[in-house]
Amino acid sequence: MKYLKNYDYGLIILTTLVLFAIGLVCVYGIAYYNYLAANPQWQYTPLYIQYINNMNSFLYPFLVLLLISLGLCIPKRLLEQDILIKFGVLALGVTIILTFLSGIETGLGFILAIMTGVQCIVLILTIKKSKTVRFEKEGYIVRLGSVLLHLGVVILIFNFVTFRENPFHISIFWTGTLLVIAGNIFSFYPGRINSLSQLK
Amino acid sequence: MAFSEYLAARDFLSIIGQPVITYILLVSFLQGFFSIIYLLKHKDNYYSYLVKCTYIITYLYVLGFLFLIWFHLQIYNTVLIEYPEFLRQLIPVESSRFIIPLWIESEKLYFWAMVASVFVLTVQRRKDLVSFLGVVLSIFSTIVYFLSNPFKEPLPIVHNEITMWYSTLSSGDGRIFEMAGNLFGRITFYYDSTYMWTHPPMLFIAYASLIITAAACVYMLVKRDPVYDEIAYRYAKAGYILLTFGMLIGYPWAVEAWKDSAWWWDPKISGSIMMWVLYTAYLHAHIYAGRGKMWKATAYLGIICFASLLFTYLLTYIVPGIHSVVQP
Repeated sequence: MKYLKNYDYGLIILTTLVLFAIGLVCVYGIAYYNYLAANPQWQYTPLYIQYINNMNSFLYPFLVLLLISLGLCIPKRLLEQDILIKFGVLALGVTIILTFLSGIETGLGFILAIMTGVQCIVLILTIKKSKTVRFEKEGYIVRLGSVLLHLGVVILIFNFVTFRENPFHISIFWTGTLLVIAGNIFSFYPGRINSLSQLK
Repeated sequence: MAFSEYLAARDFLSIIGQPVITYILLVSFLQGFFSIIYLLKHKDNYYSYLVKCTYIITYLYVLGFLFLIWFHLQIYNTVLIEYPEFLRQLIPVESSRFIIPLWIESEKLYFWAMVASVFVLTVQRRKDLVSFLGVVLSIFSTIVYFLSNPFKEPLPIVHNEITMWYSTLSSGDGRIFEMAGNLFGRITFYYDSTYMWTHPPMLFIAYASLIITAAACVYMLVKRDPVYDEIAYRYAKAGYILLTFGMLIGYPWAVEAWKDSAWWWDPKISGSIMMWVLYTAYLHAHIYAGRGKMWKATAYLGIICFASLLFTYLLTYIVPGIHSVVQP
């Protein structure tokens, strides 16, 4: 159990560092945008597309790392730790191969598709109060909140990366947003949600 | 006639609002003074004066805000943009009215300061933290008075648009086509937009909550008392939910309103993502705040997060972009 705690602690540290790195990518984007904006017409030149592609390519590797470290793609709530690490390495390996063969968007799309499936399974098991799923924190509402939050984040990223031109893009966006907000509220205020549900 | 009524309402807002914000400034000096004195001497009567000052300032902010609501209602009632018949093919409606949100131009900093003032009244468990926040609020009110006074020149951009419209319309200037198109777009996708009524206020309420998180993180580092960490976390949770929802609901609006513009990876959006990931990092790190020196890292992270918040807010004024008021 202590070993698992250390493992989770490591994941939290890694997540924090990856989030910090994404923040740095954003700072770079702001500085570079400011530099390019010296020419007021730069957005009508190929430089703009190049800038967008550069920013996406800088962000995507950190997104893959973030998804792995968050335990989104690695179903840490379903599997034992050794299987879990093998699963993570396999997923990462396939992502890297796909990235080299078809580009970073395909690789990211693959890992996001797996994660969406895994999170849906975790959600169903959590709602059914299955003992197969392991959680850090006690309490049904917190667990449900955590799952909703993770699923919402996966759906939002998946939507931004893969479905930007899809006619259902905005509908999918609202689904992800509602899941994230519900997940946040359930995770942060389980006591209040519990007392509200008991009132009924 | 309608234009003159609007001008009269604008002048009246300045007349009734200017004393309110002047009193806010004066009382905020007292608030800052009593805060510093309490932090130095720790005498309860100074704290009592500080709390009274904070209540007075909050009431004054709310009173000023009611005046602003009245002014916005006056704009709605008096200014009717009637598009001429010959523009009907260009503009799909006969007329438009301004339903102007209460957090644009010089009003946004005022709104943020008002909500921050209300939030500080909810922090009651630690007198030293309230005093520190008193100093912060005092500086904030001074900035609002000198740099973002909503009563000095009420809504200058809106005023310019309304004035230009009426003057061009009456002079029969050929620029009316361009102006009508621009104004219709501004009213439909900006002023009267549902998102403009929800996206910015959520962010400003979040920012107000996160001021308390940052102040509590500073105190956590200084005093090393877990109660400050608990206060920081409590306000961070509320702020984070509003920040997340506020940021996300801006997205469908951007897709709709800026479909022909280059806004992806705009500096303000990059800044907002940076701020959001940092607050996510803070909340993540907080899970293990009780372990080793993690409380210290978490507290530093809370302060860095707030610095990123200020930076993101200021980006509108320092870096060009679709959200910005500065151009290259």
